[in-house]
Amino acid sequence: MADVPDGAGAPAGPLTFTESLRSRDDAGLVALLRARPDLATPSPSTLRSLAARASSRTSLERALAHADARTLQVLEAVLALADAGPVGAPEVARAVGADDVDPPGGPEGSDRPDARAAVAQVVDDALAAGLLWDAGTPARPDLRVCPGLDDALGPYPAGLGPRRDPGARPDPSGVPDARAAGPRLDDLPRGGREVLEALAWGPPVGVVPAPGTPARAAVDALVGTGLLQRTDARHVVLPRDLGLALRGGRTHRSPELAPPRPAGRAIGAETADTESASAALDLVRYVDLLVAAWEETPPSVLRSGGLGVRELRRTAQALGCDEPVAAFVVELAATAGVVADDGDAPPSYRPTTVADTWDDLDDADRWALLAAAWLPSRRTPWLVGSRDEKGTVRAALAPDLHRAWVPRLRRHVLGVLAAQPGTALDLDAVMAVLRWRTPRTVPPEQAVGGLLAEAALLGVTGAGALSGPGRALLAQPDPDAAPGAAPLPAAGGLAGAMRAALPDEVDEVLLQGDLTGIVPGRPSQSLARLLERSAETESRGAATTVRFSTASVTRALDHGTTADELLADLAHRSRVPVPQPLAYLVRDTARRHEAVRVGAAGSYVRSADPTTLAGLAEDPRLAHLGLVRLAPTVLASSVPAGELHEALRTRGLLSALEGPDGRVLSARWRRPPRLERDADPRRRGPVARVDTARVESGDTSDEARAALVARLRATDRGEETAVDRLAARAAARPSHALGPEADAGPGRSAPRAGTSRPRHGGPLPGDTMAVLHDALRDGRSVWIEMVGPRGALERRELKPLRLDGGRLRALDPVREAELTVAVHRIAGVEPADG
Amino acid sequence: MPDGPLIVQSDKSILLEVDHPRADDARRAIAPFAELERAPEHIHTYRLTSLGLWNARAAGHDAEQVVDTLLEYSRYPVPHALLVDLAETMGRYGRLTLATHPTHGLVLQATDRAVLAEVLKSKRTAGLVGERVDDETVVVHPSERGHLKQVLVKLGWPAEDLAGYVDGEKHPIDLASPTTPRTPTEEPHTWEMRPYQAQAVDGFFHGGSGVVVLPCGAGKTIVGAGAMARSGTTTLILVTNTVSARQWRDELVRRTTLTEDEIGEYSGSRKEIKPVTIATYQVLTTKRKGVYSHLELLDARDWGLILYDEVHLLPAPIFRMTADLQARRRLGLTATLVREDGREDEVFSLIGPKRYDAPWKDIEAQGYIAPADCVEVRLTLPEHERMLYATAEPEDKYRLAACAPGKNRVVEQIVASHPDDQVLVIGQYLDQLQELSEHLDAPLITGATTVRERQKLFAAFREGEISRLVVSKVANFSIDLPEASVAVQVSGSFGSRQEEAQRLGRVMRPKADGRTAHFYAVVARDTVDQDFAAHRQRFLAEQGYAYRIVDAEDLGATDTAR
Repeated sequence: MADVPDGAGAPAGPLTFTESLRSRDDAGLVALLRARPDLATPSPSTLRSLAARASSRTSLERALAHADARTLQVLEAVLALADAGPVGAPEVARAVGADDVDPPGGPEGSDRPDARAAVAQVVDDALAAGLLWDAGTPARPDLRVCPGLDDALGPYPAGLGPRRDPGARPDPSGVPDARAAGPRLDDLPRGGREVLEALAWGPPVGVVPAPGTPARAAVDALVGTGLLQRTDARHVVLPRDLGLALRGGRTHRSPELAPPRPAGRAIGAETADTESASAALDLVRYVDLLVAAWEETPPSVLRSGGLGVRELRRTAQALGCDEPVAAFVVELAATAGVVADDGDAPPSYRPTTVADTWDDLDDADRWALLAAAWLPSRRTPWLVGSRDEKGTVRAALAPDLHRAWVPRLRRHVLGVLAAQPGTALDLDAVMAVLRWRTPRTVPPEQAVGGLLAEAALLGVTGAGALSGPGRALLAQPDPDAAPGAAPLPAAGGLAGAMRAALPDEVDEVLLQGDLTGIVPGRPSQSLARLLERSAETESRGAATTVRFSTASVTRALDHGTTADELLADLAHRSRVPVPQPLAYLVRDTARRHEAVRVGAAGSYVRSADPTTLAGLAEDPRLAHLGLVRLAPTVLASSVPAGELHEALRTRGLLSALEGPDGRVLSARWRRPPRLERDADPRRRGPVARVDTARVESGDTSDEARAALVARLRATDRGEETAVDRLAARAAARPSHALGPEADAGPGRSAPRAGTSRPRHGGPLPGDTMAVLHDALRDGRSVWIEMVGPRGALERRELKPLRLDGGRLRALDPVREAELTVAVHRIAGVEPADG
Repeated sequence: MPDGPLIVQSDKSILLEVDHPRADDARRAIAPFAELERAPEHIHTYRLTSLGLWNARAAGHDAEQVVDTLLEYSRYPVPHALLVDLAETMGRYGRLTLATHPTHGLVLQATDRAVLAEVLKSKRTAGLVGERVDDETVVVHPSERGHLKQVLVKLGWPAEDLAGYVDGEKHPIDLASPTTPRTPTEEPHTWEMRPYQAQAVDGFFHGGSGVVVLPCGAGKTIVGAGAMARSGTTTLILVTNTVSARQWRDELVRRTTLTEDEIGEYSGSRKEIKPVTIATYQVLTTKRKGVYSHLELLDARDWGLILYDEVHLLPAPIFRMTADLQARRRLGLTATLVREDGREDEVFSLIGPKRYDAPWKDIEAQGYIAPADCVEVRLTLPEHERMLYATAEPEDKYRLAACAPGKNRVVEQIVASHPDDQVLVIGQYLDQLQELSEHLDAPLITGATTVRERQKLFAAFREGEISRLVVSKVANFSIDLPEASVAVQVSGSFGSRQEEAQRLGRVMRPKADGRTAHFYAVVARDTVDQDFAAHRQRFLAEQGYAYRIVDAEDLGATDTAR
């Protein structure tokens, strides 16, 4: 980026990017820090170092990664038009084509002023973000791209070739001027027009045709007149100004000023909510089943963390869904804290005390609990089952499924859906919008697809469109944007939104002679429990169909319900009397159920030898044990096993305690207690609830930014004195005489180097880089202090040639040699003036 | 909409609340495309299947109508995915059509090239089609018309058969009223087709070929006669057995202008070919030296109509033979489209889509079939029999349970409680039936009984000369026992739904005095017998019949109470 002042009489604008920053007001600097938060952490010490950081490759790449298509277009246009005189927003608008193409997806045609205004807005935003700077005045703007941005945008911005080497320009009179009407295509050699047109819209590099062909002749002729340039033996390139001219002064065919609005299927709000509610009910049921299944047989944790493939398959079977869905359910339940790694040895996954709370919640609250956990979750369950770089299958709940970008992408994806309410968008449509939003960092399609699938499973979308509950979820505060918000957003509004979408509860079941029962709606919790216990569900949805069978009735009886109670319960909830076959089934099952008798006993005594037990039950000394003879070889007792054991020992029997499996025990078996949630953070597995607070605790409010700006200003004002002081100190050291500070003439404050003396003043890498950048731009030499191969400091005067990828290539004028220095070895840089 | 009688579930079942004021409208509206799965007392369950939806398309309903119907009658919002799937499924029918091309003859045409390309790429269509005429048309070998339709249904792209039918040899047939008496004692009486029978004939003829579903006793034979009269051509009638064949003949002579000379019987005993020929499935599927020796019958005349009685029993070889008869009109008659062998799709592709269906209960409500009281009697086995049963080999268990000696007493008790009714005792095992026959002092009909003897006994039973009859499974199909108002089943073949429909049909014929029919199943408690009974119970309850279970010990008490 040439920084040469344009014309002598032009009104004075800032001369460098640094200066343009310095000339900003405080609000402008705050805006810069807001637009590019990475500039503020860690806090830069001076405005110069702020400028250096803003024009560093890393920061620019980061800014471009977040830039949308229209911003990139504008940046490319400014860069491409740089040679053609001062560029303002109107020129940019013309170049990207806003003048003659209506923005796609705009409200109606004929809104050119809108398109221009949009470009102007993008230019303003880019200025605020420091991606552009204005070397002109408000009356006559002269936009420039931020130093370093030309590198970041690549060699052929907007598909335009390199700038022509000024020395290689042929006779200026014959050369088409980008600002002129166009190249003189009449004078082109035969076939030359086709060649130029093929290269006009990029890529600008062409392969030289085989010798002897007419095309080759045309290319040779073009090269001869300087319209094409040879880059090497096999390639030619169309110079930038000529390309622009061929494009009619345009840089882009059409402006991409608004995000695309893909055509999706129209989905009514009611449809979306219904589908959402049914998905939500399914998901809540899955988690219910998961808790039940894992309470019964807790799956073990893999040594590398996570849930094994076989365990996942088993869980999927228990849930009655396929494995990807099971993986999502498992991850979500873990994120919500319903299940967790118990930290035992060997560890396994178990329901936590949250599962107890879960049991008491209604469907809407349960859903809200899950949804609130999902929104900030960094997990990527869609990767489960794929293989990582080492070829290992990624397991559900594995620690390496964390991705910090997931919450942001999730909000973006939902945002795309929210932007088109009542429309179902498929993956391609969502990708198209996301691609426009960040063309340089398109999110992986797999992740977007995974998030969309999750949203559907969670009922955040219904039939592909954002549902009412989904909107409520999206309205939850973003902990990334507002770190002050509670880590777990208040779920009340969420649950309310879902409750509104859920069908009404029904407390009635229609019992039929074919042993089915039908709940014509969503069963109330108590009815659901009754039916869950006493019948098999055959069909779910708007209504629930259950079938009573011997097995299901047995289950109810097992829960301690008697036949009469069960029938009374059912009759109570049925509009019609209990059908005779059902009543018969219940009673018949109860009859057989009672054929096997079960009684209560605290413990038992058994022995292979009846004589050993003879007389025990009748022994008055053992009366307190409540011994009952069940069989000649078995006695039951009403006291706990330990007490019985002691009593028998006292009486002289060599009894031994046995476990449920009949093995002799030394201690009593006890149900492992449920985990106290978050009781011991050290034990929390990788999937324990992710702390939703920001990882970086940096305060990102505008107040903080303003404070930083104030500090920068102060340093900037004090810089002058600091430099003097340093100069003085340097002068005191004869062996390392610093060159006198650049005599900053009026209006030329340019390389007022903030010098850095690492050994004294602490490292100021930003300043080092700034000085290097300035030197590179101006082609001046600098004094570089660097750590030599043996660790000793060397001081050399070098002329920097290129700064790229953490390496500085520089010319040593004294030794007349080029050398490359790793930037981290550079301890200090000072401008070597003169 | 918020208060419709239907609830549409995402698993493609539709629940219909019977007592809803708009239930009847809703039932009529969804009948063309949804299969009634079960019809217990309060909520009927219908199911949307691909075949059902294609049937609806064949009958001229489009997806939009179907969707509108669901939306109109549904109480809750209809699952979106289901609507999408439904439209997709229905859209598949008719993308391919079989048509007659002026120069190339029978061709398969596609409105969608991609579909044609897809089916032609399939290995299954190889050899069934000839050369491509153009992008959208391909020649079909006329002999493979049936096979191709079968394959296309399996591939999910059912073809609409517009190729038409050969007219067949004309032969005038008309319905006769009053009836032509068959026996000297019989009085001629005037009659006319019942409304639903006429609708069924219309439905069939309009559609060209297809299946009419009517419950047992609802007069399927008359629908057949009506179709023959409408067609006015030579007709081949395929029936399950000889007794059934004779009944068809009697009924045709009685109700049409056909004389006995115009009707031929092609069975094991007789091989007549007349303008109307009645053949049994068995003779057609008889093989001599590995070949079907009676296939020439199918080509013996230029048949204008082919009638399949009891389509759900049609043996697989007949399907194969029938595949070649696609140019002739085909009418299938059945009580149920459910086949135990799951070949519903072959019925669809080879005979045709369902053209008429009426739920049993509706016809019963119209007074054409008798209301029935179904009772399962549970018999507790004595100790030693239970022990015997518990230790028996699995393959013997059913026989042991089904033939429990205690059943005889129960049957006696039941029979005794119906002194004035015509009682039929049905069973599977001959020893048991023999015993029962002696106990009850009632004649026994088994497969070994000669046709003459059978007909004599049936006639006597009909006339009321004998009031009790013990029959084996030969009675399952197509015999006409108008006044059997009580049926007792002592053993069955493993709880087949189809058998249950047949047995129930035995007693469902309308009674002269409008009495309630009784159907008893005697079951040994806590055995496989009871498990099979559970199947039957479910079937009957799903058909909407009141079903009770009583203990054998309580039998007397219940009866006195009644």
